[in-house]
Amino acid sequence: MFSLLYRMVRDRALAEDLAQETFIKVLNGIKSYRPEFKFSSWIFKIANNAAIDHLRRKSIDTLSLDGAPSAETPDQVRATSLQLGDRAESPLDEVESRELGTAIERAIARLRPEYRSCILLRHVEGYSYEEIAETLDLPLGTVKTYIHRARNELRGYLDDRRE
Amino acid sequence: MTDISMHLNTDEIELWAQGLLPAARAIHLADCSLCRVEADRERKVILALVQLPKFAPTAGFADRVMAQVKVHAPSGDWTA
Repeated sequence: MFSLLYRMVRDRALAEDLAQETFIKVLNGIKSYRPEFKFSSWIFKIANNAAIDHLRRKSIDTLSLDGAPSAETPDQVRATSLQLGDRAESPLDEVESRELGTAIERAIARLRPEYRSCILLRHVEGYSYEEIAETLDLPLGTVKTYIHRARNELRGYLDDRRE
Repeated sequence: MTDISMHLNTDEIELWAQGLLPAARAIHLADCSLCRVEADRERKVILALVQLPKFAPTAGFADRVMAQVKVHAPSGDWTA
């Protein structure tokens, strides 16, 4: 589950925070667990929701860094953008770039979060299509489509790299 | 029933990458260079994904989690 979170948010410390949040929700909410549901799927569902929520929030923050929504011209965008200084690379950043720096990891990072969850559950965690559909509350056909598109995109990124 | 001359679909290519493609469809794959190229590219991606390392949180993670979990005390009270 930690691997999924780490690959979803690509930040070790944040992935630990989300994993902690997930386990606390699981342990405190154990009474709401339905036994007909696979226990590990329930944990993955909570973890994935935490990651997706975070990425949605981050996307809103990123937009706000890129200038006010009302900005219409390049000058207005520049004037309303936040300027960030250079960020020195910490030892933790170095570990992360080593761990997530391979071509396939960078290609995974470029996928839409929904595709990323599906492809990681399928090929890294070894879930069946049906289990992924149950875990992510998605129709089976959608899961298949996401996984096929994700694999196509990964192939494209990896092929581009070789050319 | 699938026509033996039909190209492999993505589900079948995944089955092939896992060594689970039915023999009848494997015959088509052996004869079809188009499907072989497609299947080989797909297998490379699947292999790269399957071989990805698993990561673990830092030491003390479990203790940090348990410190924040409410434990049901024998008295019936919940403690943090």
